[in-house]
Amino acid sequence: MSSFPLGDRGPSGMPAFLRPPAILIVAALLFGLAALAVPRFGTLGNVENVLRIAAILGIVACGQAIVVILAGIEFSFGASAALASVVIVMALPTIGVVGAFLLGSLLIVAIGMINGLLVARFSVPPVIATLGMLMIASGLAAWLAGGLPIDAPPSNAFSFPARGRVFGIPVPILCAAIAFAALHLLLAETRLGRGWYLVGANATAARLAGLSVPRLVFAGYAVAGLFCALGAVILTSRVASGQPMLAPNLPFETIAACAVGGLPLGGGRGNVLQVACGVLIVAMLNNIVVLLNLPTAYQLILLGILVIGAVLLQRDWAFLGNAVRVLTAGRRG
Amino acid sequence: MTIEPAIALAMRDIAKRYGATCALRSTDLTLRAGRVHALLGENGAGKSTLVKIIVGAVKPDSGSLSLGGKPVAFHSVAEAIAAGIVPIYQHLSLFPELSVLDNLSAFQLAAGQAGLSGRALVPRDEAKAWLARVGLDLDLDRPVSSLSLGERQLLEIARGVGRNCRILVLDEPTAALNGAEADRLFAVVRDLCTQGAAVLFISHKFDEIERLADEVTVLRDGATVIDAAPIGRHDSATLVKAMLGMHIEHEHRSGSARTEPVLTAVNVRMATGHSLDLSVRAGEIVGLAGLVGSGALAIAATMAGAAPGTGEIAVGERRFALGDRREAVRLGVAYVPADRHAEGLFPPVSAIGNASASALSRFSARGLLGKARERTAIEPLLRRLHLHPARPDAEAASFSGGNQQKLLIARCLALPDLRALVLLEPTRGVDVAARAMIHRAVIEMARSGVAVLITSSDLDELTALCDRYLVVRDGVIAKELPGDTSTETIMAALAGKAAA
Amino acid sequence: MNQIIAPRLLVAPAGILAASLIFGAIAPGFLSLGNAASIAGQAWVLVLLATGQMFALAARGFDISVGAIAALAGTLAAMAANSFGLAGLIVAPLVGLACGTLNGWLVGRLALQPIVATLGSLVALKGVALLVSDDGQAVPLAEAGHATSLAFDPALGLPPFAWLALACVLGAQFLLGHATLGKRILMLGANPEAVGLVGADAGALQIRAYQLCGLFAGLAGALMTARAGAGLPTEGAGMELQAIAAAIIGGTALSGGVANAIAVAAGAFFVQVVLTGLNLTGVSPFLAQVTVGLVILGSGLMDTALRSLLTRNRQPKDVSP
Repeated sequence: MSSFPLGDRGPSGMPAFLRPPAILIVAALLFGLAALAVPRFGTLGNVENVLRIAAILGIVACGQAIVVILAGIEFSFGASAALASVVIVMALPTIGVVGAFLLGSLLIVAIGMINGLLVARFSVPPVIATLGMLMIASGLAAWLAGGLPIDAPPSNAFSFPARGRVFGIPVPILCAAIAFAALHLLLAETRLGRGWYLVGANATAARLAGLSVPRLVFAGYAVAGLFCALGAVILTSRVASGQPMLAPNLPFETIAACAVGGLPLGGGRGNVLQVACGVLIVAMLNNIVVLLNLPTAYQLILLGILVIGAVLLQRDWAFLGNAVRVLTAGRRG
Repeated sequence: MTIEPAIALAMRDIAKRYGATCALRSTDLTLRAGRVHALLGENGAGKSTLVKIIVGAVKPDSGSLSLGGKPVAFHSVAEAIAAGIVPIYQHLSLFPELSVLDNLSAFQLAAGQAGLSGRALVPRDEAKAWLARVGLDLDLDRPVSSLSLGERQLLEIARGVGRNCRILVLDEPTAALNGAEADRLFAVVRDLCTQGAAVLFISHKFDEIERLADEVTVLRDGATVIDAAPIGRHDSATLVKAMLGMHIEHEHRSGSARTEPVLTAVNVRMATGHSLDLSVRAGEIVGLAGLVGSGALAIAATMAGAAPGTGEIAVGERRFALGDRREAVRLGVAYVPADRHAEGLFPPVSAIGNASASALSRFSARGLLGKARERTAIEPLLRRLHLHPARPDAEAASFSGGNQQKLLIARCLALPDLRALVLLEPTRGVDVAARAMIHRAVIEMARSGVAVLITSSDLDELTALCDRYLVVRDGVIAKELPGDTSTETIMAALAGKAAA
Repeated sequence: MNQIIAPRLLVAPAGILAASLIFGAIAPGFLSLGNAASIAGQAWVLVLLATGQMFALAARGFDISVGAIAALAGTLAAMAANSFGLAGLIVAPLVGLACGTLNGWLVGRLALQPIVATLGSLVALKGVALLVSDDGQAVPLAEAGHATSLAFDPALGLPPFAWLALACVLGAQFLLGHATLGKRILMLGANPEAVGLVGADAGALQIRAYQLCGLFAGLAGALMTARAGAGLPTEGAGMELQAIAAAIIGGTALSGGVANAIAVAAGAFFVQVVLTGLNLTGVSPFLAQVTVGLVILGSGLMDTALRSLLTRNRQPKDVSP
């Protein structure tokens, strides 16, 4: 995977043998250990289940990754997905399945644009802007739905994004693959993506180098909304209803995925492989908690520890490298 | 020969490593009571590490430190301060939102035990006396954010010298001071010496060192190469040679000025309220000479479209509005900002990514980035500037200051249609070799017809490069001088004296 | 009071005045004494949370876990009160202090970004609250009547818990203005790089700031429990946002170094006036939530506006320091 605009860490960074695939190794190790230790984890059905969960998370995490690379953070994803699900189900009878999905998506992109405007044009800190938007969106969702979920009339078209298959591959997984490919293209091969890295690394320097910083930031939040919209459509289709409380943990999970993958929340760094591995790790851990019949509260606790632990670890990969070296030396000696 | 004064601070065989890099190998330093001791060294020679060890911010790996003859080991800055070591930093360590009085009391507030702040504050009349000592008369309740830069630097010095200090560490204290303010500082330092304080004085300015210091120590590559030589024993050429371990040639100015104006201010009113009338011709290197605070930086930034205001800047036939940096880049105006880290560098991005940042339009079509084209275009530039280590994919943060500056120069060179170059302090904090490389690149650009506007607080840099000087005082261009003007005349003009 | 800070402190009182006049014109009952008392009674939880948040912001930090801390502290305190009598509520500030210490340690010693550290705590503490409370079941107080009387029945004009909260605010203001710790926290916020250079331990100060923040959040949790007569493990979500908004409206600079506890309390009262006013004018509670979101965005815009206003008034600088 090319990560061209990102520099090498230099001599003091993480050891060369751990460099790009480190997070992949961690993900694979987790999978292996879980397959051995957790009953039913390794079954084909469960793997597909994990992938389905990871797919939705991954699609939205692609959006979060863009914002994080821009040195921002996006908390409104869960609430805007909830608002979209309510709007989709309410609009369904009048404008049909496709129209409703489009309307919901447009809504999320619009919310992303407002966030982008607040951050880019009015220099509101991203945390404040997106948290405020979280409250507004979830308030609107609850108001529209009267505080309760509204069921969607069952139809094949409506459940296609979540349950359908194309060439035997579940649609959500296909969508996730497309989303990751699109994110890679955006980040590695376009001028827009390069601009995001530069703005995230140093917004003042980017302005003085002649880049249009507000436009890039605005575009970043808008494109992030696009990814979130795709995730929201699949989510709505999956729960087959408009839910004002849909996916309240989505922002936390996607931020955790980015952090676990090794994207510094300070911006300027990160690639698709890292995001994908982060998503897989978060999805596997959630799945393990379920399989072990632990209270879902453990998912939250684990998620919190994961965010903090991952950021600590990525800052000092050398620590991990040393640990591996000590372990392997111990085996030899 | 008189009897040597008592040793105030002795450091022997100090060594300090940061990971793989060795900041100090075997460093000796002896400060004597009542003397000003100059510390010289290239950037990266280990000066700042040595200072950090003296003030307790960093612990040495080996070696000994003794204060007044007793061995000491500081575990924190607070301990060093309690022992009478007072640091005055080149980067301002004031607290802008807090009052002048709170700032004067910062050491006491910081080091005191938890309790009421009333007792930790310096008494008001004493605070006034401290300020008077450095020639300041300020309302003690004013927030520091409302002070000028020079006032802030003096306030910082007042805070340091107000205490009963045994050892005063001055890290490039005059960088933000004008001549009168610097004189004031030197008088205070002399005064402290007569009271028995030892002073460590770090500066890059040889004339200041000759004026103020009694002894000089030179560091090179983390080791002491000249140890406490009396000032006057070595001339400045010898000291430079000791610092560098080699001889550096002087640069020559371009001499390539043509007639057609390239970068011209049109009806410009700057954000400072002053109007600006300035034109730089093709192939010409124009130096904006001004003391810190004179407004030279603001003028240069305005010409590059990096500062707001009303009016337009003409680039040949075309124009961009003030503050429209984007359009300025499109018209071929390159810019190297004064503060490399805050305004120039993209630390986590690769060297190539840093160099191509202003020229992405050159490498992209329909939004897609041609990375192979980018690499072919940028790599030769980096080679030409002798980027070291020659790792174009390494991230910018991993390079030394001088090489990071080369990346900013490469960004200028990469502009698709480079017409004008505006440089602010292009070699501040840059080692001598990189400085020579950067000057060579600037001259080459001028020879190829680029209009160059440069401002630097280092007069030697201007006299080495410029075809013409514009003297800036109080925010406006006060005087124009030809390229062969002597340094003395320029200095007189800077200070506002009538040139002979 | 110096000219940098003054305009910041006027925003909250002006907001209260404006909101009162508007709601007074729409809803006739709004400007009654009884309603004022009801607003005052409800506002104290937010006042405590906002005052705690103020310390984090003043130190150029950020704590989005205060709502989760308050919920966990209130729940554990309710459990303790059921075992040891009402004195068990003292557990709440202790839990808050412990959580604040954890946040402070992550930020001050492990040098995590505040948003990362407190986001992690937010999520993890939510989980812990669910875990101890059997998946979010409220924990009713055995002595609920006694507890609610402490929170609602006036003694000497205010309920005892309101007196406590008021004392905490005044204590916080005293700390900022007259204690070395407060000054040091402001120094840290004003210039984080310099605070170590003058001999203070920046990490230790960050720990203190988050500890104060946690302590106040814990106190807010105790008050929440007393008012509800039960520990509510899922309450407090969204409160962190109101607290941040109240602290900013109360003049705390997001860029650190400027804070005033009394103005922050006024900021909290402003948020409560808006909420109560919307309630009285018959607006759906969901739309009230939307309004709070708008208030948060407004506070962010206000901070930007104030900052640019104040930098414009400063002398033009040649070099950024």
